[in-house]
Amino acid sequence: MNLQTQNSNIAVMDADSHLEARNIHVWFKERHVLSDVSLHFPTNSVTALIGPSGCGKSTFIRTLNRMHELIPGAGLAGSIYLDNEDIYAPGVDPVSIRLRVGMVFQKPNPFPTMTIKGNVLAGLRLNNRRIRDEDSLVESCLNRASIWNEVKDRLDAPAGSLSGGQQQRLCIARSLAMSPEVLLMDEPCSALDPGSTRRIEETIRELSADMTIVIVTHNMQQAQRVSDQTAFFLAEEGQPGHVVEFGPTDNLFSSPNDPRTEDYVNGRFG
Amino acid sequence: MSQYSVESLERPLDVTPWKKRSPNFRYIIIATALIPILVSFAASTVLEISGAGILLIVFLPLQLSAAAIAAVVTRGRRGVADSQLNVLVYFATFFVVIMLGSIIFSIISWGLKAVSPHFIYQNNVYITPTTSLEYGGAGHALIGSLLVVGLATLIAVPLGLAVAVYLTETRGRFKGPVRFLAQSMSGLPSIVAGLFVYALFIATGTVNLAGWLGSLALALLMLPTVVRMSEEVLKLVPGDLRSAALALGAPQRRTFFQVIMPTAKAGLITAILLGVARVVGETAPLLLTTRLMSETSVNPFYGDLATLPTFIFSNLTAGFDTGRARAWAAAFLLLAVVGLIFGATRALTSQKVK
Repeated sequence: MNLQTQNSNIAVMDADSHLEARNIHVWFKERHVLSDVSLHFPTNSVTALIGPSGCGKSTFIRTLNRMHELIPGAGLAGSIYLDNEDIYAPGVDPVSIRLRVGMVFQKPNPFPTMTIKGNVLAGLRLNNRRIRDEDSLVESCLNRASIWNEVKDRLDAPAGSLSGGQQQRLCIARSLAMSPEVLLMDEPCSALDPGSTRRIEETIRELSADMTIVIVTHNMQQAQRVSDQTAFFLAEEGQPGHVVEFGPTDNLFSSPNDPRTEDYVNGRFG
Repeated sequence: MSQYSVESLERPLDVTPWKKRSPNFRYIIIATALIPILVSFAASTVLEISGAGILLIVFLPLQLSAAAIAAVVTRGRRGVADSQLNVLVYFATFFVVIMLGSIIFSIISWGLKAVSPHFIYQNNVYITPTTSLEYGGAGHALIGSLLVVGLATLIAVPLGLAVAVYLTETRGRFKGPVRFLAQSMSGLPSIVAGLFVYALFIATGTVNLAGWLGSLALALLMLPTVVRMSEEVLKLVPGDLRSAALALGAPQRRTFFQVIMPTAKAGLITAILLGVARVVGETAPLLLTTRLMSETSVNPFYGDLATLPTFIFSNLTAGFDTGRARAWAAAFLLLAVVGLIFGATRALTSQKVK
């Protein structure tokens, strides 16, 4: 019974997939690092990717906005569909994909030569977009990244003057300014203290009202707190990374199907 | 009742316990510093060796051993290596600073004797190396130098930056050979650069001597410096920033101009200034390409052009006191102008966050 509802659940998700990865394989030079990953990300869902270090989570997330191909020696097989269009189809401009699929990195990386305000507007300026109402855009982006109150009096200060947690939220605001449909987050809280982490998790929950979010995390509690569905990646010795289990977060943590998932989420390895 | 209370403590005078020394530490240091110097002085009066010889043969070994003994006494054997390196580093620094200082000092002290307002704006027409210093000047050479070096910069900087960008920002297939070529070019003797331009344009009768040919030769010399330096500087820009810009959907060109270049700005300017510094005093290539002259010319595309280095060269080789004085004055002028340009560039381009 339980299994059935879960399956039908997935079927529903499938029909509604905003972003979908089908049979993704990844190579670096000759090394096969990711094998046959198929995941679907429903509209406005939050998906957590968990797994031990080196299992290919970050590599996978970079295939979703075509940042993967920037690494020398990178190779890829399979397809990724964004609104049912293959983002790796010939003739698709990677820039157009990256405009729709935003990304927040593990280490906060604001542009050091720009102010706080300049960082929020950086994406638009870098794309030579005209900005009609700079101030209200800056305010709304910073608000959605829940950092507005901390920086509203020093928008013209250099971005480097912020603390690590603030910088990361500024980076989120910078991505939001491009109004992406999908936001990829690669361990966004790994360099942050618990307070900043909590703020970012709240931000993620709020953002998921109108965008699809994929987040890589090493923190089980975080995955449980923020995500609707979870994928467990694992690279067994000498094998490329692959997805061991994928399903609704509650199921994956409370009643995993695979013993390896159970061991991992209960902290027995990894 | 676990109420913490924090009391403010007034800062006592002695709060740097790590600086405490044993009482006779000071005497040991004074002895270590004085004995080698005094012995060296004594040796210089007895032995018939030049000052540099005394410094290397007597002073350095003495100072090394004195420092070693002092280290053993005050810190034990652990301090010996540290003391030896300290002596060597300070000795080397001292050596270089003295040399640099003496060069700058002689240029200024000799130069100021012949520099006067008319020396800066007058040219050298009807002036021979024996003419009194009351007449004539290097104004024409100053203008010529600014023109030739300025034009060389206009040629070498865009080209050099483009090569550096090719080496750091692209996946070009010829990166290896290009880097190797740039490296080998930096070993090119300046006269060969001059000869190359001479052989290509002048000897073939294609064009006559002109300022721009000198610029071309100087650009050849500037190029490797600009390429290597800007490559190193661009490599220092964190890859994170490139990723961040690209992930925002920025095209590579804009990523470079709006993110990478501003981040590396100070370093890129240093690269350009070092390139200018590399060529501003070059004489040999200019002798072959722009020659000398006494009149003022502001046209780098036609006819001979005087420059400060060639002015210095001709006045020095003439072998008269007045000529020598003019050469020193021109050297002073060159130094001052370069200092001014560098200072102004730094001031105008100091980092501001936008």
